[in-house]
Amino acid sequence: MSAPAQAAPAPAGFSSALSASLRAEVDQVAALAARHATDHDDRAEFPLAVLDALRPRLLGLLVPTRYGGPGGSVDDLVDVTIELGRADMSTAMVFAMHCQQVAAIAGHAGPRLAAELLPEIAAGRMYLASVTTEAGKGGHLMSARAELGARDGLLEIDRFAPVVTGGLHADGYLITMRSPQARSDGEISLVFARRDQVEVAQRGTWNPLGMRASHSIALQLTGRVPEDQVIGEHGAFRRIAMNTFGPLAHLGWSAAWLGTASGALARVVSVLRGPERSRSDFSSELLLTRLSTARQRLDTVHAMVRYTAGAVRRAVEEDADLSHPRHQLLVNALKLTASEQCHRAIDDLVTALGMRHGYLKDSPTGLERALRDLRSAALNYSNDRLHLADGRLTLLDQEVRYA
Amino acid sequence: MDARFVETLTPFLPFLHGETITEDTPLRTYGLDSMQAIELMFALEDSLGVSLPDEALVEETFATAGNLWAATRAAQGADAVTAGTESV
Ligand SMILES: Cc1cc2nc3c(=O)[nH]c(=O)nc-3n(C[C@H](O)[C@H](O)[C@H](O)COP(=O)(O)OP(=O)(O)OC[C@H]3O[C@@H](n4cnc5c(N)ncnc54)[C@H](O)[C@@H]3O)c2cc1C
Repeated sequence: MSAPAQAAPAPAGFSSALSASLRAEVDQVAALAARHATDHDDRAEFPLAVLDALRPRLLGLLVPTRYGGPGGSVDDLVDVTIELGRADMSTAMVFAMHCQQVAAIAGHAGPRLAAELLPEIAAGRMYLASVTTEAGKGGHLMSARAELGARDGLLEIDRFAPVVTGGLHADGYLITMRSPQARSDGEISLVFARRDQVEVAQRGTWNPLGMRASHSIALQLTGRVPEDQVIGEHGAFRRIAMNTFGPLAHLGWSAAWLGTASGALARVVSVLRGPERSRSDFSSELLLTRLSTARQRLDTVHAMVRYTAGAVRRAVEEDADLSHPRHQLLVNALKLTASEQCHRAIDDLVTALGMRHGYLKDSPTGLERALRDLRSAALNYSNDRLHLADGRLTLLDQEVRYA
Repeated sequence: MDARFVETLTPFLPFLHGETITEDTPLRTYGLDSMQAIELMFALEDSLGVSLPDEALVEETFATAGNLWAATRAAQGADAVTAGTESV
């Protein structure tokens, strides 16, 4: 293996080929998100100003160049999400989940729908929300209860969605439902609905422990959309989930968690080295060990994020099958590891810093909010559920080969 | 598709409701979930004596009865070759 001779040195934080102007844009949005984070967290409000700042270029990051986007890769998605996560985890999740929807459209939508939507996304006019969770089935991705109706060439949507990040502010939705006249819960279609094609009714309020600015409220969606707004064909969701939705969700979420934990550790180090330096006992072996352990956890997650992103990128480039157990296992292991280790790292830091800079809301370390936000990581597609899937996949990969 | 294969497959398709299995029968549609796919694999090993290789265990293999049959046949062929070599 030889290193590329004339590769430009990547600026701090970025590993991919993101253009300098896009990078500058990411820095600006992250700065804006950081300024608003406390306020939106307090009020459990969606960061509309931050979404507006994402619109001009970043919402279109994954749109291919032939549709007017920058043709960003999965590595770019990871880079941008980590940087946004350093400032605010809710913003990072909003961005990463939107990009996951974009990738599903770019990879699987029919030519008419792709030609309609992708340029709009590239132009920043289409923020997409995700509707997969359903009452009664919890987070079980590969099953659906509410069925699409099909009449007069139109698809009828009537769907309760208990958790929709940014759902009130989205310009469109990708919704999983049972295919029309499905025989089993496993026959699922992914359908696009434009905001003006559906009635969007809020159900209940949003007052969670963390991820407060993600404004992930419950919605009832009702309306009719043309038949060709099905992504892929009816019943194709399983394939889309294995090749695109699952990998990009786990990569995007993990990048958001890693960014959040990295930002928190950076602020901790800055407080420790700052004007109050004399208050810390740097000869304390407990303090040093806790800092080391936190950093070790983050380096582990970082290595896994980068490795998994590379594996997914190569699979996409080679048109390889990501449904193979060893690929699914890698992507799931990333989610399990990142959700546990990022949360643990921050928990350790709270212990290391104690009451004032570990537990109080207004400490410049922001550990309190990071800990509340990261507590959602294991729930966001339940780790218990994922372990059951991984147990089955392990039985299928008898030779134990790695992706 | 031979009769033993179809007979082994049938109980894993709870939504078949008496329809005939053809090569195009979509297995997921008729209720084969990921847990049952594993049980089905074990059943094929017991009834047909074939073990699907790890490489064959992708989504596509379990998409239709025909695909699974093709993978089973390929594995039978491979097993026969191995058995042949061993008996030399
Ligand atoms: C911040 C945040 C944002 C989110 N945004 C969205 C969004 O935009 N769109 C969307 O659709 N969803 C969203 N979700 C939902 C998310 O994807 C999960 O589906 C959801 O968190 C799972 O909910 P649950 O824990 O109630 O359900 P379950 O997954 O059913 O888990 C409930 C409990 O059952 C246990 N369990 C484990 N395995 C099983 C099993 N096989 N059967 C039954 N129970 C099992 C779990 O451990 C858990 O204790 C979001 C979640 C969070 C936290």
